[in-house]
Amino acid sequence: MADARTGATAPQAAAVHPASQPTPVEMEKQKAAARRAWARAALVYVLLLVFSLFFMGPFLFATLSSFKDDPIEWPPRLDPPQLKPANWVAAWRLGKAGGGSGWFGAFAPGAEVPFEVTYFVPDGIEPQAPIVRVPRRLPGAGIGAVRPGAFAADYAIVSEVVETARQPAEVAGVSGQLVTYAFTIRHNGEPVVADRLPLDLEVQLRQTFYSATLAPNRIERLGRVQSWNNVAPGVIPYVFYNYTRVFQENYSRTTGKNLFLTWIGNSFFIAGVKVLTHLIIASMTGYALARLRFPGRNALFMLILFSMMIPGQVTFISNYLVLRDGIFGLSKLWGQETLLNSFTGIILSGLCGGSAVFIMKQFFESLPRELEESARIDGAGPATIYTRIVLPLARPALGAVAILTFQGVWNEFFWPLIVLTTPQDKFTLTVGLLNLRQAYGAVALDWGPLLAGAFISAVPVIIIFLVFQRYFVEGISFTGIKG
Amino acid sequence: MPRGLSQRVQEALAAYLFLLPFTLSLLVFFGYAFVRAIYFSFTDYNMFDPPNWVGLSNYINIFRETRFLIALRNSIGFSLIVTICQTAFALMLAVVLNNKIKGIALFRTAYYMPSVASSVVVTLIFLWAFQRTGVFNYVIELFMRYWPFLVAFLALTAVFQLLQVFWDRSRGRPVRWLEPGALLTSFMLAVVGVAALWGTGTVSAIEVEPVRTVWLNTRRTIPEGWGWFSLPLPLISIMMLNTWTTAPTFMLLYLAGLQDIPRELYEAAAVDGANRWQQFRYVTVPQLKHVTFLVMALGIIGTLQMFDQVAIIGSAAPLDSTITLAYYVYSNVFPGGALPRVGIASAAAMILAVLTLIAVLIQRRVVEDNG
Repeated sequence: MADARTGATAPQAAAVHPASQPTPVEMEKQKAAARRAWARAALVYVLLLVFSLFFMGPFLFATLSSFKDDPIEWPPRLDPPQLKPANWVAAWRLGKAGGGSGWFGAFAPGAEVPFEVTYFVPDGIEPQAPIVRVPRRLPGAGIGAVRPGAFAADYAIVSEVVETARQPAEVAGVSGQLVTYAFTIRHNGEPVVADRLPLDLEVQLRQTFYSATLAPNRIERLGRVQSWNNVAPGVIPYVFYNYTRVFQENYSRTTGKNLFLTWIGNSFFIAGVKVLTHLIIASMTGYALARLRFPGRNALFMLILFSMMIPGQVTFISNYLVLRDGIFGLSKLWGQETLLNSFTGIILSGLCGGSAVFIMKQFFESLPRELEESARIDGAGPATIYTRIVLPLARPALGAVAILTFQGVWNEFFWPLIVLTTPQDKFTLTVGLLNLRQAYGAVALDWGPLLAGAFISAVPVIIIFLVFQRYFVEGISFTGIKG
Repeated sequence: MPRGLSQRVQEALAAYLFLLPFTLSLLVFFGYAFVRAIYFSFTDYNMFDPPNWVGLSNYINIFRETRFLIALRNSIGFSLIVTICQTAFALMLAVVLNNKIKGIALFRTAYYMPSVASSVVVTLIFLWAFQRTGVFNYVIELFMRYWPFLVAFLALTAVFQLLQVFWDRSRGRPVRWLEPGALLTSFMLAVVGVAALWGTGTVSAIEVEPVRTVWLNTRRTIPEGWGWFSLPLPLISIMMLNTWTTAPTFMLLYLAGLQDIPRELYEAAAVDGANRWQQFRYVTVPQLKHVTFLVMALGIIGTLQMFDQVAIIGSAAPLDSTITLAYYVYSNVFPGGALPRVGIASAAAMILAVLTLIAVLIQRRVVEDNG
């Protein structure tokens, strides 16, 4: 296996050789070698694809499922109705009919939402018009059951259900007829806007759902009841139903602030500040360790190595107490009694990590000394050399530190969980996700919003990773070399 | 800079200034914290009243506590198995990816995805996939239903490959048993063959009961009834998760290492008549000794601290079947309602630290002796 790369480069080698008039036997051999190399490359690609599926598959499928009404449906489908363009068009039209925009629907005064539904009725059964209800339905269990705002049910007037078409048809080998019914849902004109218009249709047994203006979200009770979460949705609340729920349902019960947005902001703020402190402190420390001679250098180096081996569970108790008492009372200088539940605390307790220092030290050691030597001869001190000469050259290493720090802080869970406990709008996104998991998982796991929240929180790191991939890889191999 | 000081002193002074912020934070948030943790482990302390010195009694009592013993067993088992699996897996991936073919960077990106996302996100996705009606069970069901096709495919591939190799050898061509060109043809022929068998009805899907394995909310252990040696099924599920998320990071380290191995070594081995497995065994593996040490050290440090997964899974699995030392420490400091037992928690944390150091030292020995 180890010479796989040798084999893969063989085609070029084979192509270069035939300069000196080869014999037919040699030519035959070269052809065989080339064929072998190409075949091997093809096999390697197959293997690579299989592995990609293994690593990416769960993510891709989780992302797809985050659009579904029921992410743990059985069997899992690859084509949820939310991803079908026909439904997008319908959602747009219905959103406008409901008095909202095409992007964001609503159920507002003046709304008149037309709706059509077609059933398949086997021969021998008399078609029956469905019973139409606008239910008072909550979006979900757990946190989703606590919901402010008006119920569309209180303002909706459903028109008479009219049969509009009837035609013979055969569905799955059974002959019968397709019967279409139409009705409209009007707003009664009271000046109240409801954000969603849920709908239930009920028919007799064996009269099965065939199609409708918008695909239903659930079909229950042996096919008798078809339910819609919202028949005036607009495109975004329809396609991104679970995503809108994450934002709408997570608000602070005391201040009314949108919690999920706040958590995203908090994570960005803390990560941004920590990237800055890491860049400054790691480059200073790394430079001193790499280039300056001073007593205690080895001791400090060993201490940093040691600190990287000791689990955070050893030090967090003392650190928690230190923050609780405001770092030996220092925080009183700027008027904070305690640094628990404060961003200052979480930033001060993690100004710079050992691995960032290692990356910088490693990089500075790889720089040629001549530049600094000549500056020193010109009389420059260490501070000047550092800011004027070394730092401008260090961009690749600084990039690696910035990216890895951002990723590390964005994904950090243990320490924010301990320091940021109340109120909820102090959480970082990872702690917030744990909160979501408890809020939506209390009764039965309401997977839609959970997967949507997970996806949103993964997006920033994934984008940064895709854009700055090179720095990631470099940073990791930098930390690697030190061992 | 004050005049008259020697250059040496000046340089040292500058160094200390450069080092001041980092050293200060290291001393407060690591040095002081570490010393205090040692002190706390010899006391009875609840964070409100002043600590009482109790000597070694925390270390004695803790080993009488079943939950601690379970956490210790879980941590050690988890760390051993995951470290070994992810190291082997990372090495394998790196060898496959160490190809100079087009588009390899794209694949590297794809592989790295699980390590970029946070453990919280990954654990949520994992929780979802391991539900009773989750994707994982569905994949197993698909496999159980269609395995005859897979077996037919593999058997036909083997048959076609043998035929081709015998044919070529009978005509005097020197081909290997796994000749790539022949293998590709065999795969394609096997696909056609399976399609034909399916068309004639010789091979068909098996009717199976829906798979509804409970992976998390269960007290099942594997293997069943081996006392302390049988690990809880939920923990094994987390092992799979962790191997999947961390192997790619270590793969990058191995890739960097592989690129540093001089080509001449392989050429020399080939001249000596080493086959590919021997080249892998006697050139690649020893040359990657230092990377292996690093990967295993990082693996041990990381796996012994496993906390996030336990916290996120929470009530979805019985606590005893997922609890690790790290979570044990946390749950004793923040027991939610009861008084914190900082002394016991610190003792457990010190045991965790000692375990980490011992593991790193032992495997450094092993790697150095066996290189």
